[in-house]
Amino acid sequence: MLIEIKNLKKIYNQKTVVDIPSLSINEGELIGLVGNNGAGKTTLFRLFLNLIRADDGVVLSKGNDVSKDDNWKSYTGSYLDEGFLIDYLTPEEYFQFIAEINNISQSTLVERIKPFKEIFNDEVLNKGKYIRDLSKGNKNKVGIAAAMLIQPELLILDEPFANLDPTTQIRLKKLISEIKARDVTIIISSHDLNHVTEVCDRIILLEKGIVIKDSEKTEGTLKELENYFTV
Amino acid sequence: MYKIFLHHQLLEFWRGRNKASGIITKVLMIFIILYFLLVAIGLGFFMKSFLTKLFPGKDPVLVFNGFILYYFLADFLMRVQLQELPTLSVKPYLTVNLSKKTIIKFLNLRSFFTFFNLLPIFIFLPFVFISIAPISGSLSAMAYTLIVLSLAIFNNFLILYIKRKAGSNGFIILFGVAAMLILAALDYFNIISISHISGLLFSYISHHPLWSLIFILLPVSIVGINSKYLRNNLYLEEISKKEVAKVSTDYPFLNRFGHTGRLVALELKLILRHKRSKSALTMSFLFVLYGLLFYKKQLIDKNSFGSLLFAAIFMTGIFQIVYGQFMYAWQSSHFDGLLTSPVTAKDFLRAKFLMFTLAATLVTMVTFFYGFISWKLILLHLCVYLYNIGFGTVIVLYFACYNRKRLDLTKAASFNWQGVGASQWLLGIPLLLMPFLIYLPFGIYDLPFWGIISIGLFGLITLAMREIWLNLLTRLFIKQRYKIAEGFREH
Repeated sequence: MLIEIKNLKKIYNQKTVVDIPSLSINEGELIGLVGNNGAGKTTLFRLFLNLIRADDGVVLSKGNDVSKDDNWKSYTGSYLDEGFLIDYLTPEEYFQFIAEINNISQSTLVERIKPFKEIFNDEVLNKGKYIRDLSKGNKNKVGIAAAMLIQPELLILDEPFANLDPTTQIRLKKLISEIKARDVTIIISSHDLNHVTEVCDRIILLEKGIVIKDSEKTEGTLKELENYFTV
Repeated sequence: MYKIFLHHQLLEFWRGRNKASGIITKVLMIFIILYFLLVAIGLGFFMKSFLTKLFPGKDPVLVFNGFILYYFLADFLMRVQLQELPTLSVKPYLTVNLSKKTIIKFLNLRSFFTFFNLLPIFIFLPFVFISIAPISGSLSAMAYTLIVLSLAIFNNFLILYIKRKAGSNGFIILFGVAAMLILAALDYFNIISISHISGLLFSYISHHPLWSLIFILLPVSIVGINSKYLRNNLYLEEISKKEVAKVSTDYPFLNRFGHTGRLVALELKLILRHKRSKSALTMSFLFVLYGLLFYKKQLIDKNSFGSLLFAAIFMTGIFQIVYGQFMYAWQSSHFDGLLTSPVTAKDFLRAKFLMFTLAATLVTMVTFFYGFISWKLILLHLCVYLYNIGFGTVIVLYFACYNRKRLDLTKAASFNWQGVGASQWLLGIPLLLMPFLIYLPFGIYDLPFWGIISIGLFGLITLAMREIWLNLLTRLFIKQRYKIAEGFREH
């Protein structure tokens, strides 16, 4: 078990936004988190990453409480939003920085950037721009690449397909499948049910902070989800 | 239509992002502006006695005449530094059913409402009506008024024009400033005398007031040029600045400090790549001249270091005061990224210590030129420097842990109160008070040297305790980080 949630609760203004009594995630699982706006997806991710304080319960990563012990940082790659990017750096500088603080050598960095060349589509590297000057989609690409570069054991991506062009979406799906083959645990959220059911092998459906469905993907999952979201 | 625009502007002012920084700061800002205006009005009303005192035996009207053009030269340079383009974010208005003409007219109208346009009115007009009207008649007073207003408006739009133009060409602004500086230099070296020209001009006008009408051409033409430029360039990509290719940089010197050094390099880039932080840096170096105002010869001769202390702390610690007061909010836009990275809280804080120490060392070394005035000043600066890096840094970082206001780095530098909260005001109290408390007993018993040496010793001891501070601050930071991060996420 890589991640274990026990009795997790987050409350904002007397409103419970996350309430998960128990949930475990095993090594090598590829999990899709779905739910409408306000379902608590991002909040849950932030709890995974110890960015907000849980009002109750714990998130254990490899058995350690993420709020007590920073060990998870060394094997967790994440990209939730632009708040993760140091936007006044050029993409090269940013990757360099990420590599340095993760003790990745220059040559390894070059090697690890290579698979992203296709996704970057010549619009990210060596363009003489700071990250803040890039388009939303390209910022997204930088963030995702930075999260993957450290070759994490756990990868957390919030809405990775948002703002990406169709070609890149397909390339990213391919990349995610490749990473999964290395037994990396991946948790992604998405509003696009097609993407989620295509790549993920376990789907968790959140509604108002509560897990209302958690099952292995089967033939009928897409249909089921579509029915759920059709009001 | 203009009413709607104005209404939107007001809404923008009151509802501006970061509501929390809200009313208190805005009221304070208004007070500061009122203060400056009061000073200006005071200057205007008492101009006559000022001038007779400053230039005894000269006719104050003649002195005044000579001064007017000078003022507008200085006004130009001041505006280059401080005046911002009117920030009606044009974008949402471009696609709705509004003619370009209306938008441009509003942009022009909006730019009238700046503090810099009020200043000359308050400084010059009281004197014009009190002292000039009775002598030369009300018609010449009107002529003066007309010229002063024309010049103010001319400067106003000239700056806007230059700044808009410079959006696509950075050299124009340099060129404008250089031209003005050359003019000032020519005047300084008496090659041409602006005061002489100004004097001649206004003496002539006071006798032939009707000629002042010519000056109306100045604002009219510059407003015309400006509007034409806007009409041709009111496109999104052209209003926003043209991009220069950015290059990646590296500071190999800092790499020897490991992770800490890398974080300092990161912050150095932050400082150099944003207007607001860059101005904190320039200010630090400008403040090195602060002592010239404070350090009076008799104070130094009498060893009254108590009176010199303030300037000394300020100069050597200026960077940690002006930059440190907003800590860690400079990094608010990517704070989540830092928290999830393997950078430990301790390394993060250690980097801040290192940065402050480097900055204070650099600035203090620059201030050693005061040694030409007296060797005592070098000793004073050294002691205060130790205090600043030993104790000052701790105070700054302590308060930083309670600062939760997001700082919007993309906004301009001057008169920008975004991200200001209570912790900025509180910070100064212990930081500036402590050395006085240490000095006080020695000052009373007339042992000034022991006083400053005690401050230095205090600094040295606190510096030696840095590891302890670091641990305490790390604990505090870890405790506070959720709150800090939450505040920084709020736009």
